[in-house]
Amino acid sequence: MIARARLPALLVFGILLPFPSLADSGDAGALNISIAVLDSGVPADRSLHRDLKIFPRIRDIESRFLPFVLRETLVDTGQWGAVRVVSEPDPAAEVSISGSIVHSDGERLELRMQASDASGRLWFDRNFAASLEEQQPDTGDPEAASPFQPLYDEIARALRESRQELGEAELLRIAEISLLRYAVELAPSAFGKYLETDEQGMYSLRRLPARNDPMLDRIERIRLTEYVITDTVDAKFRELHEEIASTYALWREYRRKSLEYEQQNARRAEQTRSDATRGSYEAIKNLYDNYKWDRVTSQEQDRLAIAFDNEVGPVVEAMEARIDELESWVDAKYAEWHRLLEELFEAEAELNRVGT
Amino acid sequence: MLRSFYIVAWCVALVSCTPARPVIDEQMMRVDGEMPADFSGSWERDYSRGDDVNQVLRDIYYYLSRTSADRAYTTRPGPVQPSSRDMESIQALARLAELITRPQVLTISQNDQEITVDRKDDFSLLCAFYDGVAKGTDSDYGTEICGWDGDQLVSHLIMPGGLQVTHRFTVSGDRQQLRVVTTVSSSTARVPFTLSRFYKRFERLPPDFNCIETLSMKRVCSTGEIEL
Repeated sequence: MIARARLPALLVFGILLPFPSLADSGDAGALNISIAVLDSGVPADRSLHRDLKIFPRIRDIESRFLPFVLRETLVDTGQWGAVRVVSEPDPAAEVSISGSIVHSDGERLELRMQASDASGRLWFDRNFAASLEEQQPDTGDPEAASPFQPLYDEIARALRESRQELGEAELLRIAEISLLRYAVELAPSAFGKYLETDEQGMYSLRRLPARNDPMLDRIERIRLTEYVITDTVDAKFRELHEEIASTYALWREYRRKSLEYEQQNARRAEQTRSDATRGSYEAIKNLYDNYKWDRVTSQEQDRLAIAFDNEVGPVVEAMEARIDELESWVDAKYAEWHRLLEELFEAEAELNRVGT
Repeated sequence: MLRSFYIVAWCVALVSCTPARPVIDEQMMRVDGEMPADFSGSWERDYSRGDDVNQVLRDIYYYLSRTSADRAYTTRPGPVQPSSRDMESIQALARLAELITRPQVLTISQNDQEITVDRKDDFSLLCAFYDGVAKGTDSDYGTEICGWDGDQLVSHLIMPGGLQVTHRFTVSGDRQQLRVVTTVSSSTARVPFTLSRFYKRFERLPPDFNCIETLSMKRVCSTGEIEL
């Protein structure tokens, strides 16, 4: 409730913020980045989860947790503008990053990541993977760098290389298209004429609105307001990261140990394979024990997954509820802004017609 | 008379376990609507009922001695001694069956999709249905499938080397008695070994504490609502 009461204040704050001019973009390379919550990569067919050793609830938490690690990596490079974690992909963002979890078992992490800019240009769409054995051991210390940090560094490198392929004019154009795409969504009647899309869905500028266009002025103020809310959502992801990092590190450690147990089970099965006479009690008990220990290891992982969810579930649910609240507010305001801007445009157009 | 009954019953069980007919067919792996029976609850072993391992072994010895291949080579009327290989194989199955059916307590949880049978010192038997179809587990060490034979729950485990373990669960109408028939068979033994175990329902006392498992704090308990 307190948070809701603060929202109008945030809006006022947003409107009072200074805004950049369309042609005054400063460091063209410092594009803003939106990183969407990842697709958890959980198959819809529930019957496959056990076979694939996927714990849907934990994947769901990872899909919110991992983008924040990438955000921190990109912020640390100091080479980008604002880097935000958002709950949905934002195609109008200057640079939009989205992806899905291909594999995550505590020992190996593989992500499929896509990055594109506001013009629709695809920067990359490929898999990034890292294994614990190639890195330092996981100490379980949440303050320590992620054991899969090289994966995030590799994504940061791919982003930097993609940006280096673009000239300064193209980078400036991305920022302009981003703002105009946002403007078209809010006030298509006023801004639809400035952008065009080709058959491949690539956006390009027909022309730019006037620097002192009052409609553009309003759009930029609204966008800044939305950024304030987005930053609040982003802060929620930061809180989530801080609250569950140590538990997540434990989960990863337990999963890694489970994998070690699986390997031990395999070695044990191999060693006992030919020791006993076929059909003897020792032989059939070995067969039964091999199965038994495999199942016990698997069921222990199920138990740990429940323990993890017991611990972090309430934190995640509270965060989801808060983000839903913020986004519902933005959605409602967005519809209102859309209506007001269209009405304003009509009124101003009518005034212009009368004036001439 | 009683002995003859056991032999007939045992032979029926033997026929039902022959490879010609799968223990669980596709029809048994489908459930339309509710589960046919409710096994949920805590069950403790009823030692006054159930098979005696040695008696079952004697019955099998009797069966093998009447059907032994060696009979074809002897002119002496009556039973012949089963081969030592046959007896060693069946004794191995008996020991494994006795080991598997040793748990004194079974804790069964059941909902619309899953039945889990927790057993001390052994893995939990799991029977999961997705959209009404049973889904087994499969690994390098074995394949576990389950299904319904009428109102009997059947769990069938097939391991490499031809070893198979089948459990049939039947609950009484008043849901106070549970019978578990466990059959262990192997490609190295001429006949399977089957043991019946009976269990009585018991109510666990309501716990004094509410407890949940966590990763960082292990088990967390409270007399009230747990807030982490």
